[in-house]
Amino acid sequence: MTSRRYRASLSLILFVLPAFVLYLLFLVIPMIQGSYYSFTDWNGLNKTYDFVGIQNFVEALKSDRYFRSAILFTAKYVILAVVFQNVLALLLAMLIESRTRAKGLFRTIFFLPNMLSVIISTFMWVFVFSKVIPALSEYAVFKFLDLSWLGDPQVSFWSILLVSLWGGVGTLMLIYMSAIQGIPQHLKEAAIIDGATPFHMLRYITLPLIAHALTICIFLTLNSSFKVYDLVYALTGGGPGRGTQVITMNILEEAYQGNNRYGYASSKAIILFLIILVITMIQVSIMKKREVEA
Amino acid sequence: MSRRVYSVLAWVVLAVLAVYFLFPIYMAIVNSFKTEGEVYNSVLGLPPTLKFDNYTEAFKKASMLRSGWNTIIVTVTGIVGIVVCSSLAGYKLSRTRSRLSGWIFMLFVASMLIPFQTIMVTLTRMARDLGLQGSPFGLGVVCAGLGVNMAIFLYHGFVKGIPRELDESASMDGCGEWRAFFLIIFPLLVPITFTIIVLNLLWLWNDFLLPVLLLNDYRKYTLVLTINMFFGKYSRDWALILASLILSSIPIVMIFAFFQRWIIQGITEGAVKG
Repeated sequence: MTSRRYRASLSLILFVLPAFVLYLLFLVIPMIQGSYYSFTDWNGLNKTYDFVGIQNFVEALKSDRYFRSAILFTAKYVILAVVFQNVLALLLAMLIESRTRAKGLFRTIFFLPNMLSVIISTFMWVFVFSKVIPALSEYAVFKFLDLSWLGDPQVSFWSILLVSLWGGVGTLMLIYMSAIQGIPQHLKEAAIIDGATPFHMLRYITLPLIAHALTICIFLTLNSSFKVYDLVYALTGGGPGRGTQVITMNILEEAYQGNNRYGYASSKAIILFLIILVITMIQVSIMKKREVEA
Repeated sequence: MSRRVYSVLAWVVLAVLAVYFLFPIYMAIVNSFKTEGEVYNSVLGLPPTLKFDNYTEAFKKASMLRSGWNTIIVTVTGIVGIVVCSSLAGYKLSRTRSRLSGWIFMLFVASMLIPFQTIMVTLTRMARDLGLQGSPFGLGVVCAGLGVNMAIFLYHGFVKGIPRELDESASMDGCGEWRAFFLIIFPLLVPITFTIIVLNLLWLWNDFLLPVLLLNDYRKYTLVLTINMFFGKYSRDWALILASLILSSIPIVMIFAFFQRWIIQGITEGAVKG
């Protein structure tokens, strides 16, 4: 009996081993090392370093002006990106699902940006913001477009949002569409017979029945918006100055570009991890509860 | 509001949004056929003649063949690694009902919450220490390590739907565990394997930050990195830049055109189950 259990365990280990080795080397060990270095003042090069306790964390949160402004900027971006992306994706999904013709065409159009690399498609937007819109704003009708889209942090915040919306809603739209398709037809018909307005349909039929999709999509957008990097890098490079610097950029700047404060950068990375963990945990637990009620 | 008004309104909103989504792509394509001077003088107009000079120039100057090949190496290495390792592990973890199995699975799933940005600094050092820095193959191996957890989760769920009797009859017929896996089980995992390939293809082909950290020689650059470098180098010549952007997007758009149905299905399933 014991030998059989031993054999079962052995075969389990053999099947899991290749994946586990990769996982250990490239995920677990870096995570443990990062947590460890976050309590040191290592510069990434020297052989020696000192253990500094929670000093890095205190410095990051209390006296690091750039890190704090990066957190604030990212937080502002996360809130608006999560709201706008989900509202637009849901709107698109409902509009497309309510059509009888050209469904596939619209789905392709709105999903297309998701296939492209963020870097490559954002460079197209750089062209639009720096060449096309200035040319458009020469016409009287489009005079209002005459803004410094990439040069003024106040405005470029909205440029970043505009591009993130463009590149991000496709996947969400697909998830919402498949959830809407799952709503039983007889419920919709009953509601229409009872004289429900489109708003009532949304409030009492659609939203409660796609609650699981809402949970997933908000989780996905929270995650991706906190981690945003490529888009901001390609559009503004974090500038002008540090006007549009996001958390990930601040971490990289600390670790590499001249600063070489490796331990300090690690502690900022841990802070980012904790922020995402706590916020998504709260979101999922709250929304899961509501799903059951619905 | 009558249904008719509502329907017209829906078309208008969809049309306006479609313009927003297609506008940058349209502008990029139109201007990629102009000369530098034509872009400068009239951004909004159509090109007077259809010239492919920008494309041939971008193809050569951005060494599209080399960087395309590098991208293929990264993507294929990553996907093969993820599919082989995760299908083995996901299958076995799903079939074994022991405490050890439960713990290992929990470890994999919990790690899905670790953001790449939290480990990127130490991961780069790890890759360097293992000699994986600086080569597309090495990058693919590292990506496989980052991708196994999600794939194991998806395989684990899918295997539950495959009857155990299949494994048992195979072992009764004297088929070894490994042979049974590759001959009987793996072919049944094709649908979920396709989902996993789609999700990882989009990630690996378009990834930016990890390749930037791991590939430091421009001859090893992937398409995205090459375009990024190209953008910095020729930033005044928009016609050339735009041609390079369009050119480098063609492979993935073609894949999308051919496999649209599976890709859409893969993304929805991957999200709903993940």
